[in-house]
Amino acid sequence: MTRYTTIFRASLCFLLLTGLWSACKKNDFQDIDLADHSAEFAFPLFTTELFLKDLLGQVLNDSLSNDTLVVNPDGTMTLFYTGDVAEKKATDIFTFFQNGFFPLTDSITTTVLQLPIGVTIKRADLNSGTLGFILTNQFGETLNGRFEVPQLTKNGEILTFPFSVPPTTGQAWVSGPIDLTGYTLNGSSNELTFIYYAYLADGTRVKILPNTSSGLSNVFVTFLNLKFSYFEGNFGYAAYPLTRDTIDIDINQTNLDGNVTVKNPKITIRIANSWGFPTRGIVRYLSFIGQNGEEYKLETTAFAQDSIIDFNYPALNEVGQTKYTDVYLDNTNSNIAQIFNSQPTKLVYDMGGISNALQTPDLVGFLTDSSNISLQIKVELDLEGSVQNFGSNQTLDLDFGDYSSLDTTKIQDAEFKLVTENSTAISALLQLYFLDTDSVRIDSLFANGPQLLLRSAPIGADGKADGTTRTEHFIPMTAARFDRIRQAKQAFLQTSFTTGENGQVVKLIANDKAIVKMGLKVRTK
Amino acid sequence: MHLHHKIGLFCLLFASQLSAQQELMLQTLPDLWHATSINPAFFPENKRFVIGLPAYSLDASHSGDITYNDLLRKEGDQNVIDFGQVIDKLDPENTLYFDQRIETVSLGLRLPGNWSIQAGHANRLTGLAVYPKSLAEVLWNGNGPYIGEKVDFGFQARVFDWNEWSVGLAKHFNKVSVSARLKYLTGVTSLITDNDHHKATIYTDPDIYQLQIETDYGFHSSSLISAIDTSDLGFKVDIADLKGKAFSKNTGVSVDLGAQVRVNEKLTLSISVLDWGGKIKWKENANYFRSNGSFTYEGVTFPGADIINGSDSLDFDQKLDTLNDIFQFQKSAQEFTTKLPERIYIGGTFQLTEKWGLGVSAFAQNSDNRRVGGLGASVRWLPVRWLSLGAMYSVNRRSAANLGFHLVVKPGPVQFYFLSDNLANAFSLKSSPAVNLRTGLSLVF
Repeated sequence: MTRYTTIFRASLCFLLLTGLWSACKKNDFQDIDLADHSAEFAFPLFTTELFLKDLLGQVLNDSLSNDTLVVNPDGTMTLFYTGDVAEKKATDIFTFFQNGFFPLTDSITTTVLQLPIGVTIKRADLNSGTLGFILTNQFGETLNGRFEVPQLTKNGEILTFPFSVPPTTGQAWVSGPIDLTGYTLNGSSNELTFIYYAYLADGTRVKILPNTSSGLSNVFVTFLNLKFSYFEGNFGYAAYPLTRDTIDIDINQTNLDGNVTVKNPKITIRIANSWGFPTRGIVRYLSFIGQNGEEYKLETTAFAQDSIIDFNYPALNEVGQTKYTDVYLDNTNSNIAQIFNSQPTKLVYDMGGISNALQTPDLVGFLTDSSNISLQIKVELDLEGSVQNFGSNQTLDLDFGDYSSLDTTKIQDAEFKLVTENSTAISALLQLYFLDTDSVRIDSLFANGPQLLLRSAPIGADGKADGTTRTEHFIPMTAARFDRIRQAKQAFLQTSFTTGENGQVVKLIANDKAIVKMGLKVRTK
Repeated sequence: MHLHHKIGLFCLLFASQLSAQQELMLQTLPDLWHATSINPAFFPENKRFVIGLPAYSLDASHSGDITYNDLLRKEGDQNVIDFGQVIDKLDPENTLYFDQRIETVSLGLRLPGNWSIQAGHANRLTGLAVYPKSLAEVLWNGNGPYIGEKVDFGFQARVFDWNEWSVGLAKHFNKVSVSARLKYLTGVTSLITDNDHHKATIYTDPDIYQLQIETDYGFHSSSLISAIDTSDLGFKVDIADLKGKAFSKNTGVSVDLGAQVRVNEKLTLSISVLDWGGKIKWKENANYFRSNGSFTYEGVTFPGADIINGSDSLDFDQKLDTLNDIFQFQKSAQEFTTKLPERIYIGGTFQLTEKWGLGVSAFAQNSDNRRVGGLGASVRWLPVRWLSLGAMYSVNRRSAANLGFHLVVKPGPVQFYFLSDNLANAFSLKSSPAVNLRTGLSLVF
């Protein structure tokens, strides 16, 4: 208002100057002013355009994580929501030996490795771990020789460890830890062979016999902390528990009642698999849990034999890759629409696994130390549907600028005029709270509670907005209240959205917009 | 100077039935030295040397019936304008006219061979402003009552003042005196709106009161307005120093011609043409200011997407800058010329008796194609040799009922007078809708 009156006063001065300047000294009029009187000044405050895509983006951002709002070529919008991931590492299921203590009963001794059921090793790459030998020399002279493990090779050389062991007088001789990093375990029969060559000083090869009194071997091999980075072998038919988990679905976290109804929600259960052999998932349990803990059991024809999902998997030449298997659920193959519109908050599932379910002979597969199977929920919502009182809260910084320092002693009263021109198919009930610097509410825009700020545009037969609906609100304000409000530093908007006038099914178009604007009348005294 | 400024203030703000510096009464008093200002052929009879001391004349008018007290009053130490009393009296278009003459000093000398010469200096001001009633209304009531209406606030003005340095020569024959007076003009200040560009309107949109301002407005100024800055949310008019300057680069000339015919001992006729061909070319700080465009102020525009996502805030302080520089006056150096108002006086006096005389007086003025005139008949009474009283009935374009008067006191060589073409207004400047007066002092020997 200061600026506005400045313009008019300046015009007044300008007029006076044209008439008076040469008849009057400048000093005579430099203090001239309009007499106190009641006048009414009207001027615009602000205008803003809210596009539906921005509005929805923010509303849904408040509720969702990992979402993407895509505007389709026809202007409709699709919300893609990706939920949390539940994953199972292969090493949690397939446990290979890490430590071992093997007695050598002869100069050539073969032992069988303990592996998961149905698994036959062909190759295993070690990325850590050590091997050690323990030997008791009973010959009264120093034994020289070497140990060999033919299945362990590195750069084409088998593992060989030379030794020179003096006669044992107390503790047995122990080799230092032999680092196995980089070695590859080769084989085809899950067996490991240890060989030692021991010679007396005259070159005679000897065997180290068991202890005569205890009968225990005087030669041992130890493995410690073996870790494989890659395992390749035959995976036979075997069943095992795969995973049981819960995935949160974060839609509509606000406290307001949303009544979100989406006409045709599509949900994809995506299995990401980097296990290098065929795995079949058996869905033993899959239900959605509602806001109050109620269970919504998924009924679908999407699974083979009601419960089977064969996971895609990387081939031998695709080590490190992840293969995806998607299970699509929509209203054509499931009751997912009914479930989704009941606003579930969780997905609970229990899934078993079968390797090589088809029992393919000599099937060669692989695992790495990072192989895993994960399960994720992806939601695809074409924004066609209905909401009723879908809540959204937002806090905005607010600065009235020069209006804050306005001299209100000369203001009798004020009246805000809030106008909306809504070209969207959404109605909005709004209350705006003015907050002080400590975020304490000092007043609200509407004294009588939330008002219908936006009235839905007319809706055509296709569910799209067809036209514009204008809404006007006049908000009278005393000088004292105006004085209080203009000191606000934040505005807290509490909005609830309803499609159409009362929640009918509509299509939301990205470029539909609502214009919100405000003017102010101030009456001076 | 201060006095005349104050009186000038009065003249601006009250109305008159007059509409030009008619000075009909002075025309019937040729024995006054200062009457030579409206007819250079006048020279007091039987006087050889004259010293003209200061004289002041003022003529002002405002259309309608508005007085100073209606409009301007004091609140504490401050002058305030109160349109509340006057708005209803205003016409849709209102005219304010004023004409002021300050004669500082003049000399007259009768020479051998029936010649006389004269010289003098005067400071003169002429002004005309035309403004719409709607300007006063929106200034006073605010724009609130005029939502949805296009309000005209453009006004026209033609105001300038100048110094006259004059020298004249008269030849007095037996029955006829003729005279010519050359005046060198030095303009002081001026403000002339452009007749072709004087539109300015404001429209308050009923929507949310958006302000739409349209201007096609221009004016010339010399040594008055040095800049108009509507940026920074203001409307700053830089006023030049208004101290009158005796000389300047704004120069021009004009000529006064006069004749007086003494038909017989009782009847005298006179005619004069004043400021004939008078022009001033304004060169000093001469500028043309122009505002041409349409500006709509819609308030602060907040980017909706940024507000929604929180990357912007409802900050009125930063966004109000959009109100800057609404009128965007463009200033360009430009010389311009103003014409002086040309006047013609025709009159006559008839001496009935030694103490009673009659007079008639007529005048016409052409100022910027605005022609006005007046006609009056007077009676004069000289009860004693040093005192003259008189009355005049006159008509002009605005009124057919003007009653004027004069008082002349001539003790010894002193001539003092006070006269007006409108008696009712001469003594009630603040409460009358008009003023017309002249007063002065001179020494005649």
